Amino acid sequence: MSTEVIAAPPRTDDTVGTDLSRRSAILRPLGRPSRTYLLVFAAALVGLIWFGQAWAFQLRHGLVVTGLSDWGTGGGVPWGLYIGSFIWWVGIAHGGIVISAAVRLFRMDALEPVARLAELLTLAALANAGMYIILHLGRPERIVTSILPNLPQTIRTSPLAWDVTVITLYFVLTGTYIALTIRHDLHEARARLPRAFDPLYRVVLVGYREGERKKADRMAFWLALGVIVLAPLFLHGGVIPWLFALLPGLPGWFGPVQGPQFLAAALTSAMGAVTVLAYVFRRLYRWDGLIDDEVFRTLARWTGLFALLYLWLQLQQVITGAAMAPTAPGSVAAAKLASPLFWLAVVLLGATIAHTGIQMLAPDLFRVGRTAGVAALAVLAVLIDKTLFVVDGTLEPAFGLYHGGTYTPSWVELSSIVGAFAIVVLFFLLATKALPLIELEEAET
Amino acid sequence: MGERSNWDSGPTDDVLQDRANALLEGSEFDPALGVLVARDAQRVVAGEMSQEEFGRRYHDAYVREFGRDERPDSPDPEARLELSTDDEPSQPLVVSRREALAGIGGAAAGVFFLGELWRSGGLRRLYGAVTPPAMDGVAAGADPVQYGMVIDLQRCDGCLFCVDACRTENGLSDGVLWPYVFAYEEPGDEDPRFLVRVCQQCTNAPCIKVCPTGARHRRLADGLVLTDYDVCIGCRYCEVACPYGVNYFQWGEPASYGGTYTGARRDARGIAVDGDPPMGVMGKCSYCPLRQDDPERRGSTACADACPMNAIHVGDMNDPDSAPNRYLAERRAENDGYLPTFRLLEDLGTEPNVIYIGAPPSSRAELVEGPVSYGAWGVVEDRRTVLEGPTPWFGRIGLGT
Repeated sequence: MSTEVIAAPPRTDDTVGTDLSRRSAILRPLGRPSRTYLLVFAAALVGLIWFGQAWAFQLRHGLVVTGLSDWGTGGGVPWGLYIGSFIWWVGIAHGGIVISAAVRLFRMDALEPVARLAELLTLAALANAGMYIILHLGRPERIVTSILPNLPQTIRTSPLAWDVTVITLYFVLTGTYIALTIRHDLHEARARLPRAFDPLYRVVLVGYREGERKKADRMAFWLALGVIVLAPLFLHGGVIPWLFALLPGLPGWFGPVQGPQFLAAALTSAMGAVTVLAYVFRRLYRWDGLIDDEVFRTLARWTGLFALLYLWLQLQQVITGAAMAPTAPGSVAAAKLASPLFWLAVVLLGATIAHTGIQMLAPDLFRVGRTAGVAALAVLAVLIDKTLFVVDGTLEPAFGLYHGGTYTPSWVELSSIVGAFAIVVLFFLLATKALPLIELEEAET
Repeated sequence: MGERSNWDSGPTDDVLQDRANALLEGSEFDPALGVLVARDAQRVVAGEMSQEEFGRRYHDAYVREFGRDERPDSPDPEARLELSTDDEPSQPLVVSRREALAGIGGAAAGVFFLGELWRSGGLRRLYGAVTPPAMDGVAAGADPVQYGMVIDLQRCDGCLFCVDACRTENGLSDGVLWPYVFAYEEPGDEDPRFLVRVCQQCTNAPCIKVCPTGARHRRLADGLVLTDYDVCIGCRYCEVACPYGVNYFQWGEPASYGGTYTGARRDARGIAVDGDPPMGVMGKCSYCPLRQDDPERRGSTACADACPMNAIHVGDMNDPDSAPNRYLAERRAENDGYLPTFRLLEDLGTEPNVIYIGAPPSSRAELVEGPVSYGAWGVVEDRRTVLEGPTPWFGRIGLGT
């Protein structure tokens, strides 16, 4: 607990500091929903319904309702915003569980208050990533019957088969990890938890025994180790970039730099998203004492560092593409430099890096609200840059005779972004009423 | 060709042979037989060989090798090993079956078992009725049959007869150009040159490798790279993986975009692989597989038949006596042994099976208007111009006010 927080004027009804009041602060959101809660819930529901009708429109008429077309003579791109968003959400999903695992493995205690929020974000973001894959398909109804029986054959060569496998594994690891670490809290707080979610608690608490805590912690430790190896090395620095980096015909995608760069992008957006999430909850539930300033300082340092790595790897590509590159990689770099969206992403990431630097040099200038705002910009920059990466790839093929093409996302594709946000908001609104969002152990320290 | 280990195919015969040799070292059984059986078991799985044919083919070899043929496929019903009979308890049966499998060889056994499992319907029941994707296979010994083309660009005059013939024969949607003819000029050129872009039927096809479903596959009979329209999920990974841009996705309902999908274009294996694909499924230049199934029309395609300059020649590129290879030899002889040829983007390692006569376009090539425009044939060249979805309900309200 940092000294500033204790010194700060108490903004909560409880006197922050005693175990008991911290505990009740954590459990406070479980009470009756406020008017704001209901309003946000309704707005998110409207967003979800809007997206639902857009998706229904696409299912009925086909992907012709998107802005996509064939590359080459088709004058467009076959992969667009859906794939860009898929990369984005997988990246965000990445952060949550990695933060939580780092807290557990490397004793990064400063981030402990946001560990559970981060874990839950992983679940919601991964669900969105999976949804985007389905949204992208021409025949989503065949996904199980076509992929599963042929997996033993396709797993040997298809990066998409690798992706489906690793993401499924990741989802199972994450879900198990969260279930293991939440059982104790649910059991402890059972009396305060709303009746409405009883069936959920019964499932999560099946076979719970008083003395299981130690064993569950040990299991969670090993799961965390698995996650921290799997996620960076084989998911976001592995099978996701390999979807692109292994293709010989598209120089904008091909090459070994994609692995490190995708990882840097993922971690930037993940740290940024957790910052925004932590800020929202601190504001809404007046958790200044629980999610203290040190959490935001730490997150900002990591976001800035990963954004710096990300831009630096972008620089490597631009320099090699602009100096003495062969024809095709040369036109990729030229197209990148000519795109205003590319420069927008660079400026947003640059702002994040600058903000971190200034804050480190002059700690007095630190403001939580501004930190969260800058983090949001970094998250947005990753969506822009990754979508641009996907689109530019097929517009600049090695087969240079084709005369390029264009792509503008349609209203259906843009609606999916609204829908994905609505899903995350609804998920957290429900989680707020069903679970303690900060580990109760945190209150015991 | 054939030397490179082809990782989009099943294990090559060399690999199988090595494995079988290693497993059967010191046993009295013949590993070569195991390899042959394994290969044909793959064919049975791919639907390219009937169970009866499989049973007949190896009956004599089995009797020679093991003194009896107890397989469920054995043409001798007396000898067949039944899995559940009253007078034979299951335990000894398992053992005797194991002995038989050991004879075939471990490597073959694995493949055979999977084939049996599939054929018995076990997997199919689990996952619903799915047409098994044909497995990529390389025949033993000799080079496999691999259809491809020789396209004489020195003869091509850019008339676009090939484009129109394909569109008509396959009922393609507007803007879908299975063959596409580039008209371009090199610096200093006065007349345009042409490049006929068809599917390159790559030996090392990226589209087959990346497909997450096995829908994009190589047909064993002639090496054609095809899409199983009933399995494809429409992820378009083949389209981004292909360096040549030959894939065209079915973005909407074919009927609304000039297409005529009927769902009836099935090849000899019963797999839907040709014609305009259904909505949400990938299609591409197919080399008219239904023609290749027909002994009368084998070696022809709609585009080759239509070409007034006789510039397109279709056939087995591995057979020195095939039509394309004979044409190549004739042209070479006409030119005193010298003939400029190239394969498209060969340095990408795709091992394309189309040989062009002429010079490849350089990086300074500029697209120009050809002597005959696509519009003159009533063909849509830029597909984006016709890919308009229907107006949504809120758009209609907007129009009404």
